[in-house]
Amino acid sequence: MDWLFEFPSLGRKDLSTLRQSIDETFRTFSRAYGDDLEAFFNPLLKFLVWFEKILIAAPWPLVIFVVAALAWVGSRSWKITVGAILAFLAIGYLGMWEDTMATLAIISVSTLVCVVVGIPIGIFMARYNRAQAIITPVLDVMQTIPSFVYLIPVVMLLGIGKVPGLLAVCIYALPPLVRLTNLGIRLVDREVMEAAEAFGASGREKLFGVQIPLALPNIFAGINQTIMMALSMVVIASMIGVKGLGVPVLRAISNQYLALGVMNGLAIVALAIIFDRVSQTFGKRLQAYRETGHG
Amino acid sequence: MKFTNLLTAGGFALAATTGAAFAQECGDVSIANMNWASAELMANVDAIILEEGFDCNVELVPGATETTFASMNEKGQPDVAPELWINAVRTALEAAKAEGTLAALNGGPITGLGEGWWVTPKFAEEHPELDTVEKLLAHPEMFPYAEDESKGAFYGCPAGWGCQLVNANLFRAFDMEEKGWVLVDPGSAAGLDGSLAKAAERGDNWFGYYWSPTSIIGKYGMVMLPFEAEYAGDDNWNNCVALAEQDCDDPQPTAWIASEVNTVVTDEFMAKSGPASDYFKARVFPGEVMNGMLVYMSDNQATGEDAAYEFLIQHEEIWTQWVPAEVADKIKSAL
Repeated sequence: MDWLFEFPSLGRKDLSTLRQSIDETFRTFSRAYGDDLEAFFNPLLKFLVWFEKILIAAPWPLVIFVVAALAWVGSRSWKITVGAILAFLAIGYLGMWEDTMATLAIISVSTLVCVVVGIPIGIFMARYNRAQAIITPVLDVMQTIPSFVYLIPVVMLLGIGKVPGLLAVCIYALPPLVRLTNLGIRLVDREVMEAAEAFGASGREKLFGVQIPLALPNIFAGINQTIMMALSMVVIASMIGVKGLGVPVLRAISNQYLALGVMNGLAIVALAIIFDRVSQTFGKRLQAYRETGHG
Repeated sequence: MKFTNLLTAGGFALAATTGAAFAQECGDVSIANMNWASAELMANVDAIILEEGFDCNVELVPGATETTFASMNEKGQPDVAPELWINAVRTALEAAKAEGTLAALNGGPITGLGEGWWVTPKFAEEHPELDTVEKLLAHPEMFPYAEDESKGAFYGCPAGWGCQLVNANLFRAFDMEEKGWVLVDPGSAAGLDGSLAKAAERGDNWFGYYWSPTSIIGKYGMVMLPFEAEYAGDDNWNNCVALAEQDCDDPQPTAWIASEVNTVVTDEFMAKSGPASDYFKARVFPGEVMNGMLVYMSDNQATGEDAAYEFLIQHEEIWTQWVPAEVADKIKSAL
């Protein structure tokens, strides 16, 4: 009856040969294509470095002014705008300005990359059921696989630094945007679509004139989720050499610097709340506009 | 199995009684299982020997240098840190030893180890003239930094490790910023290893901090560069270079301090452990054997536990020296 209790597993030796051969294959791949991949991502790296330098070099009142202006344009709420200004003043006063700018840079660019990649994928998924059937499990994997697992191949391919960090962030932060874009387009009323067809709208007109505008609140909810998840990856990204608020958090964790950890953690939270409130109220305003439009 | 032995063989009955006596003295022992390979191996060897040989009830507690030391110092847990690199915690450890809360049982559990600044073997071969740290520091252009090609990348120590402070201060002491270097924080051990492995695999140049014995040093044949500067004294090192940047105004250029690794235990463990503490005093891994085990671990992706059994089976002649003969027999029968 032993076989009932002893799982018929691959022998230790075979298992280790299997693991080694996978590793070897990957290593060969990395040797062959690593440089090309790096060259491919080089423009992105240049852009990241440039953007971070601008944020760090810009005079702080200007940065705060831009943040406040964006908050106002997005939310049209005095409370949120004043809150954003106060949060940035506190961050600067507590000596976290540069790290915050570095984090802001990588989060903004990550979000941009996610939007550029995610929305088309979401639209594609909404158009073809088969695409949805294939992409959905991929998104499940991206969201649930422990980030340390894909950090290893990313570092072997691209080294450490901003680009691998950005990839790690996007792998985790992309899925909600794709899902919500897909959902938003699928939720557009069939009758509205029929009406558009009746007016003789072409496929392109239907997509850009009807489906995407009506799906915007959902897409914005997706962007909001993407930003939140990107911010939650800040510390993980720092583990592969991304500068920013994650570095002091890591230092605090291993040295029991309570205050340092809490302050930098709260700075991440402050960024998150500002981004969240602004993008959420923006999404809500879009929704309100849609409702009156229908009204 | 043990029970039948007890009934059939008088010799084993004796061994078991001594074992019972040890058990009373030994009881629960927690051992810090540090998060790097040689320490994992050592913790697991200790665990097997204490459990099988001295009938202790061993628990392995994951740890890292600073966190584990702080916990031992403040809370008296875990009981044993098999491989504590004490350069990082020297001041606090001296204080604890004077107070009697911690004791260093073994001043060198591995022979031939050290920290320093390393380059890839291909670079060392191509540039035999740059054979010291100081000579190499004049050529940052040979190690371009991906995010700013005009600077040279020096890979320091992950955030939060004791060596991070040392590297940051030496970076200042050697005026590396003015010479055109950037101190890259790899963020984690995986980041540091990854950057080294990637460079070595592709034949790129790599200059950064590492230590031996480690499988990655052995695997890629990394070369440690000596410093031209002499070791500038304990005062410079302990009261400046090893401290946080704000506590070290004027670090002096210095060679790396001779590495010291101790097996550190708590006073509670000293009081209760009895013969087990003699084992810790005798346990010394020869450097080349340790390197061999580390390469075995990475080649076979073996866990610390796998490697510990492999070590106990392959290198009987070494570990049997560490324990009394009857204890060695008990362990052998358990393998």
